[in-house]
Amino acid sequence: MAIRLIKPTEINLEDRRFRFTFNPVEERFLRSVKHIGVLQPVLITYREGKPVLVDGWKRVEAARVCGLEELLALEIDDQADDAEIFFLSFSINFSRRPFSLAEKSLAVRKFHDFGLRPADIIENLLPDLEIPPEQKTLEILLEISGLERWLEVIHRKDWKLGTAELLVTFPQEERLWLLQLVEKLTHSQQKEIIENFYSLKRKTEKSLEELARDEEIGEAVRRLLDGKIEAAGMLISVLRKLSSPTVWRLNEAISDRIKKLELPSEISLDFDRTLEKPSLKVALEVDSTRQLKEVIKDLSERLARPEWDGIFELLHYVGD
Amino acid sequence: MNRKRIKKIWVDQKVEKATLTSRLLDKLPGVPVEMVAGLEPVKREFRFSPDPVGESKQHLFITEQKSFIRPCPCTPGSVGCGYWTIDLDLNCPFDCSYCILQQYLNWQPLTVNVNREKLRAELESFFQRKADGIIRLGTGELADSLALDELTENSIFLVEAFRGQDRFWLELKSKSDHIRPLLEIKPADNVVLSWSLNPEAIIASEEKGTASLRERLRAAAKAVIHGYRVGFHFDPILHYPGWQADYERLVVEIFKVIPVEAITWVSLGSLRFPAALLPVARRRFPESRMCEQEFIRSAEGKYRYPRPVRLLLYRELGEMLAAYRAEDKIYLCMESVEVWREFLEKIKRGRRNFAFPFPWQG
Repeated sequence: MAIRLIKPTEINLEDRRFRFTFNPVEERFLRSVKHIGVLQPVLITYREGKPVLVDGWKRVEAARVCGLEELLALEIDDQADDAEIFFLSFSINFSRRPFSLAEKSLAVRKFHDFGLRPADIIENLLPDLEIPPEQKTLEILLEISGLERWLEVIHRKDWKLGTAELLVTFPQEERLWLLQLVEKLTHSQQKEIIENFYSLKRKTEKSLEELARDEEIGEAVRRLLDGKIEAAGMLISVLRKLSSPTVWRLNEAISDRIKKLELPSEISLDFDRTLEKPSLKVALEVDSTRQLKEVIKDLSERLARPEWDGIFELLHYVGD
Repeated sequence: MNRKRIKKIWVDQKVEKATLTSRLLDKLPGVPVEMVAGLEPVKREFRFSPDPVGESKQHLFITEQKSFIRPCPCTPGSVGCGYWTIDLDLNCPFDCSYCILQQYLNWQPLTVNVNREKLRAELESFFQRKADGIIRLGTGELADSLALDELTENSIFLVEAFRGQDRFWLELKSKSDHIRPLLEIKPADNVVLSWSLNPEAIIASEEKGTASLRERLRAAAKAVIHGYRVGFHFDPILHYPGWQADYERLVVEIFKVIPVEAITWVSLGSLRFPAALLPVARRRFPESRMCEQEFIRSAEGKYRYPRPVRLLLYRELGEMLAAYRAEDKIYLCMESVEVWREFLEKIKRGRRNFAFPFPWQG
């Protein structure tokens, strides 16, 4: 390996053959580069006589932003093939931090395309990536790697393998539609929406397009696609209603009866939303014996209301 | 067990010379055999299969185990039934879409432990230590008790080990009809042969490789005629359109061939599974809609039908069984106190407070 000075603009950042990481340049790093420049050399090699970046993407980007004229670069012999060089790039990053699922999928894709045998990926690479070492997970990772610009969303929201596995069961067109729909949401919202659509699709044997024709789903979807992320809650609520109709209906009915009781703020009622416990939790908030007596008296008088029996009947409901 | 389905036999070097190892190998002529120094090389073989779980069911691993008997773990927050499990074989050649072993056993091949003398010693010690009441033990927790029995004849060994131990009841639980070895020996009063049952349509779609309902009931009837006690497990009960009519027909079929007096217990347990099973089951059984029903996540993290649905299933089945005077034989498997209480109020009509102890336990 030789060391040389290179102009940041000399490196073609469009050639991303050795890149599998996604983290953007952070403000703190930019500030550091502004003050002291880039001290650690980047790693380059040559293809068709032109420099190709192997490692140091953030350093080169920061150098460009900060207007540095030159960077230190370690040159790898251009006789080394892509697979060897990628292994080097992977190994350097492996020691720095854990990879996201998107990065793992891209690394696996590159090893695969550079000629590493699937059996070797399964046996040697997947355990290092803390991914179950089996054929199916290799297939999922390869599928995920094909999502191109969406990989960054998957990276940013730190998706887990389970969500990715569900996503790749959808046809390509539906995958992209789903990704567009959930792009700006939190990971837990993304996960719940994808899971519910998956389950509804299987249950109803309808396409996502057909499911979105449902009035309530359609409205929430339209708003989300218009960039109104507050519609995520609405969509999740509709999907929960459809995937869990018994529990949803009972929850609504119980909450409605509790509301009708018009209890004072010192008395609150709560119940287990999964309905596993058929009981009602009654809480009193008081700050004196006198107030406690008054609240209990008030509560006793209100017990004549028919809503109470209705609540307990619903809590003990048996049926589907 | 269709022997053709065993692709390869792996023999743990530790038991290479065991008598039972030789007997098993003699019963499977022509199947490739490899000696290994433990389980890992066997599991590694499955990594490259598109279906490692399915693959694991086609490999036989002959080995030994340090201990066999443990209390049934039940599930946190549920009412236990005091059951003990004997983990003699591990994994099962049958392929039920809902089976938690797909995930729980982590690609364990069909495993036969041949150090029976260790089990015999453990049982003898267990029989001496456990002084009070009747205790039930069974081999059907991590395996099907009879699926490999024509190969292993574990049942004969176990029945003989339990014979005369009146306070210790052995349950052999199965979805097969492999009872031939058991019909060749004298029955024991403390041995219960039991079958997990589901409507025929569910057996066909969700319980691949198992005996049909008719075959299971025919085997149960033969067992009764031979003098065995029998038990039935409606577990997992599935909730789907038309379930009531299907289960009603199933109950009718049982009592066509089995007298209620021969039945020792009937358990009811609705579908439940850990979250980790979901991706495995969906991947392995894409045609099944079992995972796409209405579930809640219970406190212990399992998927279950909501309590109102579970109670409906139990009450309806309880009524169906009560029509044949079998209500006092029912217990619920892995259910909460709340569900037990509501179920018993309806079905037992206040005659008994609880299923345990069973009537025959006094």
